[in-house]
Amino acid sequence: MFHWLEKHPFLFAVGVFVVIAFAGLVEVLPNFAQASQPIIGTKPYTILEYAGRQVYIHQDCNACHSQLIRPFKSSTERYGHYSLSGEYAYDRPFLWGSERTGPDLHRVADYRTIDWNEKHMINPEALVPGSIMPKYPWLYKDPTDINTAYATQVAAAEFFHVPYNVPIPLKNGKTTIIPLAPNLAAAHAMALKEAKAIVDQGSDKTLQEDVAHGKIPQIVALLAYLNQLK
Amino acid sequence: MENRPLEYDYTVAKMFMWTTIITGIVGMSVGVLIAFELAYPGVNTIFGHTIAQYTAFGRLRPVHTNAVIYGFTVSGVFATWYYVGQRVLKVSMAESKFLMFIGKLQFWLYLVVVVFGIASLIMGWTTSREYAEMQWPVVLGVTVVWVLWGISIFGLIGIRREKSLYISIWYYIATFLGIAMLYLFNNAEIPTILATDPAGQSMIGSWMQSISMYSGTNSAMVQWWFGHNAVAFAFTVPIIAMIYYFLPKESGQAVYSYKLSLLSFWGLMFVYLWAGGHHLLFSTVPDWVQTMGSVFSVVLILPSWGSAINMLLTMKGEWKQVADSPLIKFMILASTFYMFSTLEGPILAIKSVNAIAHFTNWIPGHVHDGTLGWVAFMIMAGLYHMAPRLFKRELYSKSIMAAQFWIQTLGVVLYFTSMWIAGITQGLMWRAQDQYGNLAYSFVDVVRDLHPYYTIRGVGGALYLIGFLMFSYNIVKTITTGRRVEESELQNASPMAA
Amino acid sequence: MKINKLYVSAIVMILLMLGFTYIAVGMDSKSAGGDIVNDLAILGAIVIFSATIIVAIKYVRQMQTDKATGKLAEDNWDGIGEYENELPIGWSIIFLGTIVWAFWYMLFGYPVNAYSQIGEYNKDVKISNAKFEKKYTNLTKTQLTNMGESIFIVDCAACHGLAADGLNGTAANLNKRIQVKSVEYVIEHGSDNHLSAHELATGMPVMSAGLTKKQIHTVAEYVSNGFDKSNKAGAKIFASTCASCHGADGYGTPYVAPNIHTFTPTLVAHIVGHGKHGGIGVMPAFKNLNPVQLKAVATYVTAISKGE
Repeated sequence: MFHWLEKHPFLFAVGVFVVIAFAGLVEVLPNFAQASQPIIGTKPYTILEYAGRQVYIHQDCNACHSQLIRPFKSSTERYGHYSLSGEYAYDRPFLWGSERTGPDLHRVADYRTIDWNEKHMINPEALVPGSIMPKYPWLYKDPTDINTAYATQVAAAEFFHVPYNVPIPLKNGKTTIIPLAPNLAAAHAMALKEAKAIVDQGSDKTLQEDVAHGKIPQIVALLAYLNQLK
Repeated sequence: MENRPLEYDYTVAKMFMWTTIITGIVGMSVGVLIAFELAYPGVNTIFGHTIAQYTAFGRLRPVHTNAVIYGFTVSGVFATWYYVGQRVLKVSMAESKFLMFIGKLQFWLYLVVVVFGIASLIMGWTTSREYAEMQWPVVLGVTVVWVLWGISIFGLIGIRREKSLYISIWYYIATFLGIAMLYLFNNAEIPTILATDPAGQSMIGSWMQSISMYSGTNSAMVQWWFGHNAVAFAFTVPIIAMIYYFLPKESGQAVYSYKLSLLSFWGLMFVYLWAGGHHLLFSTVPDWVQTMGSVFSVVLILPSWGSAINMLLTMKGEWKQVADSPLIKFMILASTFYMFSTLEGPILAIKSVNAIAHFTNWIPGHVHDGTLGWVAFMIMAGLYHMAPRLFKRELYSKSIMAAQFWIQTLGVVLYFTSMWIAGITQGLMWRAQDQYGNLAYSFVDVVRDLHPYYTIRGVGGALYLIGFLMFSYNIVKTITTGRRVEESELQNASPMAA
Repeated sequence: MKINKLYVSAIVMILLMLGFTYIAVGMDSKSAGGDIVNDLAILGAIVIFSATIIVAIKYVRQMQTDKATGKLAEDNWDGIGEYENELPIGWSIIFLGTIVWAFWYMLFGYPVNAYSQIGEYNKDVKISNAKFEKKYTNLTKTQLTNMGESIFIVDCAACHGLAADGLNGTAANLNKRIQVKSVEYVIEHGSDNHLSAHELATGMPVMSAGLTKKQIHTVAEYVSNGFDKSNKAGAKIFASTCASCHGADGYGTPYVAPNIHTFTPTLVAHIVGHGKHGGIGVMPAFKNLNPVQLKAVATYVTAISKGE
């Protein structure tokens, strides 16, 4: 039979395809609908958080930092509660990473403040002697791409029905609403408002001035993103 | 033995040979650079602070992986296909103007896509999914190149004289189909430029940014179904295609066992795709998917070893050839590293071992004993075998080849031993408890301890790069100054000057 | 007897690898004794290396001594022939073995319909918590301080620094009770650091009414410098504005105001467990620590603030 197949390339190729496609169907598909459901307390990204997530991806932070706490006592002691599937419902794509050159960040906001991150990103060694993380001075200058963040938010709402402008249940029984701006100008205003709240919690005067002048350096967006990782 | 040999046309093979060498040098140099960035963070700004964002580890890591995968390895696959394909199908590219055109088109398009792809990654236009980092415009380009390659494969098969397909052809077909399926599914994404805001304004997004069709855990599952198997169908399958041709051809030995080839092939095809789950052990994907990933990884050992054993047994009784020819040494060591890494992978996929090894440097160690020891060794051996036939010249220097072999072997050994130790150190230190039952080390304690291993790894990588430069030099000198040889000298063992 | 170079080099390689592994694992006794997961990982590493070497040697021996035999197939591609040899017997047996093992693993090892990693985690945590409680409930002060130090290094040092000096104002300098900046902040903003409804304190109202900036600074310096007797002006403001709640020397009043003269383990444990918001910024709550660990880290911080 195989000798015969080896003389009929088309059928051979069909055979190979069937054999390799099989596993994907059985393993990946069955849990598809279920695995993408958010749990209570999981919120869609605000505009500045989305912009920050884009900065995170742009700098490929996930090359060194994971966002997945596995259920081992040693991991949960270091990084907090093990990760749950629903917490990632709005992550497109996921950012679990596969290497911990640096520590896990999935719940970093539980134990690092905006102020700490703000000081750390410009010179990691100053806060963590022995750190091998690069310095990121350009993030304190380059402007955040709010347009793209807004487009991402709109696309998420448009194509994947991410629940903006509707009440989201929280763990404490209350609800909150994550707004989606009606137009680009409103999106910029919204981002700036968020940015102000972020820099006010930090201590970098230059950043505070930038935001006061309507500018949002990338680090501010990144801080907003990191600050919701909990 | 045969009738008058056909005049094979190697134009396209030669073109891809050049991209193999150039992207190899680029990809490996970047690899060495980022290896030293981890050992000495100051290296992140080695080209000055003004362009530091383009030379920082995060930015260059995907440049390294993509350059060696989509540049070096895929070029090598194409180069060998346009050589091996013609010969084992007994048909010349010169016989079909159409296929010749497709081949050249594929090359030029490929060149554009690779250059644009690498440039886009340096710019930071990435999707963040490992080995699928390139954004959708590049993905479209890759897809077209791949379709052209498919036309070339099946076109050549369509006009073949040799009715029965040789083993190498099986593996090339599988490479084509596997990557096509995985790549398309994993790269399903919506460009943000397509979004229209509630006020009706469009084109607010970016051409080089997109949002994945899959979210969270699904995204992870599809990614590692892709990620693991892209490794399978770029680093394993086509490389087996190469060894099944180049080793028997160079040594003049018949393949040990058809049955073993057959079972290994179909076994590999069936089992490999299931194993992706082992990248997600103890994550939030369902337990049963993880278990399947673990189990099939271990079953995978045997189909993988089947091919390697088949090749080693092909050399039965031919020790003299192994000892004499550095070219055959490359291939024998490649088979051995293939066995090594296909045993290591499954062991790392066992849950209890993975609990320690995941997220550590053991994983890049594992990847590199496969890619450096198996993939790159085999591609270099293939090109060494092809060069005299493509250019009708004798290989420039056997001694360079022999020296290169030992330098690179040492490089690989330093690489994986240091990363093993680093990985196990990380795994143990992260878990370690002090006498009071609390975590014994802070994260940075572990980072500090890794410094010597990162340094050794960098040195290992540098040695490997030096070897690759020697290889490139040897090939260039072969083409430019090698002694001209006759067809009769090219039957089996490649002619090489001392 | 002629010694085979091949075998010798294989043994040397395996021994070297074992040596490396020992270096990695043995140093600092990073491996917690008897931990099955650690042992399996190391065993795995040894198996990978040894098995590959041994199998490779087997085939190299065949290259050296055996001969290629068998019936050649009819087909021939570009001069490459193919034997119709049977499957190697060892390979076939092991292949079947792995398939049997696969079924065992799916049905009994980690049954696909029953195994839950979270279940296993919960069990592990329960066992180790029970062990922890049994072993560490009655610790001496020295033991608590030592335990606290190691927790401090892992959980606190990132912000407070290894020397607990607060890394240039990133966090509080724990070598003293309180900083000028913090005192000023609470006077101007009041304070309610989750201490209410606790024996330590109720919330503190804004106290800046009737005080100038300069006066606030003066009293802050007085408190911050350990109730500096030479700062007469500060002492006076303290006596009139603060002492009614915090006590004459700042040692606090139960259920009213906390001790601001020295740290006490209760106070520190409470702050670590609940977090804090003050002049320096926000400190997160460390909910991952259990009561014994909180007590330990509190004992340690109290000790270093006194220069112990």
